[in-house]
Amino acid sequence: MKFNKKLKTIFLDTHSKEFKIVGRVNIVLSPTLYWVKKLSLPVKYARDAKKLLPSIFEDTIPEGNYSYYIYKSGEYFIAFAYEDKKIFDILAQKGIKNSQIANIYFAQTELNHMENIFKIDKEQIIGVKDDIVLLLPSALFTQSKKLDMSNIKHSKHRVNLTQFGHIIDKKSLYKITAILIAFIVLITIELVMTYQKTDTIIINKEELFSKYKLKSTMFQNKSMLKKYKTIHIKQMRIRENISAILSLHLIKESKLTQLILKNKVLIATFSGVKQGEEIRITRALQKRKIVFKSSFKKNIFKVEMQL
Amino acid sequence: MNHLNPLHIGLLLIVILLFLSSKLIESKTEFLEAKNSYNETQKVAITLSALKKVYADKQRLKKSLYRILQLSSLRSADILKTTKKSEIILSSKSMEKKALNSLMGKILNANFNIKILKIKKLSDKKASLYMEIKW
Repeated sequence: MKFNKKLKTIFLDTHSKEFKIVGRVNIVLSPTLYWVKKLSLPVKYARDAKKLLPSIFEDTIPEGNYSYYIYKSGEYFIAFAYEDKKIFDILAQKGIKNSQIANIYFAQTELNHMENIFKIDKEQIIGVKDDIVLLLPSALFTQSKKLDMSNIKHSKHRVNLTQFGHIIDKKSLYKITAILIAFIVLITIELVMTYQKTDTIIINKEELFSKYKLKSTMFQNKSMLKKYKTIHIKQMRIRENISAILSLHLIKESKLTQLILKNKVLIATFSGVKQGEEIRITRALQKRKIVFKSSFKKNIFKVEMQL
Repeated sequence: MNHLNPLHIGLLLIVILLFLSSKLIESKTEFLEAKNSYNETQKVAITLSALKKVYADKQRLKKSLYRILQLSSLRSADILKTTKKSEIILSSKSMEKKALNSLMGKILNANFNIKILKIKKLSDKKASLYMEIKW
């Protein structure tokens, strides 16, 4: 069940005294706070007529940042031009906070059915002439009642004030908002896709562990890899060195008599090696880039290769 | 009156945008780390698997070695075979040079993990052999 609380309505004018407001209020703007025109235009709808308003008001109102409002009343259009900032400034001057405002209306839309003239303050009265709500000096009508806003029935014509309309126009604001939202959407899509790709990679990594029967930690696997790489390098060196030894062209008297591999050392012993022959063997091994130590004693030439 | 300040909405959108951007940078970093980790794991897995297959597949190595020893050139050679839990020892106090060449050719061309090798020439046609192969 919805409860409609009746809100207080106040008449806001540049000459109004400061208000002391409790809760929220409706505001009716004095004709001093807007410009109004009764127009006959060659368009059918108010939305079409609204586009024409800047040029219609251009020559008749002072320069400023205006917002516009228009509605159709019979055969005519009632058009408004108002400065958001000016109204906000007046509201602030009169002690009305934005949070205290329920709705804002033009006096034109709320009071145009008045049959009498009403007093606003000591100096001003309000009345209607040719369907336009006007403020007049009180000296013209001394016998007028005070304007009572307590029983006013509000129209649907609310004023939407834009607080920073004088800094940035609505169109630009919408464009910027649209761009920001577009970026947010794009980044969100990219973010979701990145999360999905990361999840896929993590799943694939887990599959690698089961496919290759890896140990549970990479530390263990790397340690095993290091061990097998060391074995592989050593075995390759053993084969390279043995191949180099076996491919030596020895002279008839020289013979390979012993080949021993133990503790990362490969020792080849040649016997019957004549003086000078050991140099030829040394050069042949150096040519194959074999790293070794050698000794030559009593026709026995020993080559010691570190693996 | 419209109480929603457009600048507040703009600021909120910018804050959301900044938050999402930082999350995106964070997620991209995580993705790159995950990708690098995957590539590294894949590299380790492939290499380790290949090396294990070569040096640690006991059954395959055994089978391969027995096949060599069954060759006609080696069947008649007096090669003593001692099998232990993690190694096999091939030894011969005296074997034909031709058989030794054949055996060494096959062993060196295969991927056996030779730990100890001792070949000693006894005469022009004979040599002794001691070889330990690990798996």
